Amino acid sequence: MKIERVNYMKHNSINYQPETFSPSSAPVSGKIPFIHVGNQVVSELGPIVQFTKAKGHSLSDGLDDVQRAEMKAYMELVNNMLLTAELYVQWCDDATAAEVCSSSGLSLKYIWFVSGLLQVYFRFTSGLGNVSRVYEDVSQCCQALSQRLGTQPYFFNKQPTELDALVFGHLFTILTTRLTSSELAERIKSYSNLLSFCKRIEQSYFYDKSS
Amino acid sequence: MAAAMELRCWGGDWGLPSVHTESLIVLAYTKFSGAEVTVSPIDWTWKTITATVPELLCGDSAVQEPAQILNFLRKQRFNADYELTARQGADTMAYIALLEEKLRPALLHTFWVDAENYANVTRPWFASRSPFPLNFLVPSCQASTALSRILLTKGEAPLHRITEVEGKIYSDAKECLNLLSYRLGTANYFFGNSPTSLDAFVFGFVAPLHKASLPSSPLQSHLKQLDNLTRFCDSILAVYFSSDHPCPPPPVQETMDANLQKLTQLVNKESNLIEKMDDNLRSSPQHKSHRPDPKPSLSTTKSSTPA
Repeated sequence: MKIERVNYMKHNSINYQPETFSPSSAPVSGKIPFIHVGNQVVSELGPIVQFTKAKGHSLSDGLDDVQRAEMKAYMELVNNMLLTAELYVQWCDDATAAEVCSSSGLSLKYIWFVSGLLQVYFRFTSGLGNVSRVYEDVSQCCQALSQRLGTQPYFFNKQPTELDALVFGHLFTILTTRLTSSELAERIKSYSNLLSFCKRIEQSYFYDKSS
Repeated sequence: MAAAMELRCWGGDWGLPSVHTESLIVLAYTKFSGAEVTVSPIDWTWKTITATVPELLCGDSAVQEPAQILNFLRKQRFNADYELTARQGADTMAYIALLEEKLRPALLHTFWVDAENYANVTRPWFASRSPFPLNFLVPSCQASTALSRILLTKGEAPLHRITEVEGKIYSDAKECLNLLSYRLGTANYFFGNSPTSLDAFVFGFVAPLHKASLPSSPLQSHLKQLDNLTRFCDSILAVYFSSDHPCPPPPVQETMDANLQKLTQLVNKESNLIEKMDDNLRSSPQHKSHRPDPKPSLSTTKSSTPA
């Protein structure tokens, strides 16, 4: 999630100072990612987008109403499918949970607690019961994104928008986070245009010396 | 010829074939795709508490959930999305996700959590359609499920109260309706001149909000301002659900069309392969001596149109 926010700022060529997250500096709502501007603290992607728009930086001004509707729809699709899959794999997969536990120092009981909450959440939303359904959803989502992207550089042709930031954030996270199973990453890699999309954004915005 | 199909769903009222969103989605799709199904309302039966609706029964299989039922019908060659491009198919998935995430919580709240609407419209309707003693159980079960769902998916923490998320879910829903209205524009349906699964989903979500006589609903008032959406619902009802005139025929899938579709898929596969080959050629400089046209090296025996 942090990557989407960083990515969005990069797209807007806003100068910012990345800080390592420390609990004492977190905003009252406790949500990351957040940006600290003067006396204000803004957290989560949605509000950050609004905030930067109010300051005169917006990526989606050039879109007409229909395109904006499409963009929001695709953002929901990504949240629905990819975010759910990431949460599931991180917390509800036993092997991953054990590894997280040993590397991060979080107790196993805490992990099981979060996993239990998420199971209830999934039961109400997408009826996720097993890992194969998770992978199937990710494939479908990637197929839709791949078809929508086609051979264009960004989802809305020449200019990146919030959707590009969101998709990059999720795909990059999945591709670079080491999990016990690489199934999720493999599914994404089978869509070559999505892979080149990620590489292109990484190279254009994260290896630039000038922001 | 497919085996006979039976659809179990909630019954109709308020000028609608069903008051239940999921049932309405499936009913609309069966009309759009020309699938002949026997509709068996579960009203006044014990299925009001035991069954998950909608449910499609065909031979030995029982399929639940609108998305799964629509998939099943497509496999039986009842396909209203036949003429959609791949990109339009992707758009369909995205808009359905939008409906689920942004509109559904507010609809659940409007019908099942809002005290006035629940007491005056929803509870009496469902109680009157359930046999004794289920009339005491069915509405309250559904209401508590609805409330839990909203809190879990939209609440910041499991312990938040509903009042704290109400503002957000209603503003999200109004935005969602606006987005649908922009997307529909002045067209009759979302993709071209014949309705597809997206039209079925939008109809299922929006029609109950449009037609129910709700005593208190800012969301309904908001919808009434979006003329093209209300017109969309009314025209589907008039064209597909009116007993006066027969339904228009669905897009006909003849054997020739099936062959054309296979051919199109093959051509697409070939062009994807060509693209991949091209990428490989560009990225491996030592192979620059190959002929630029990779087509002859694809030694498949499938027939394809010349490049």
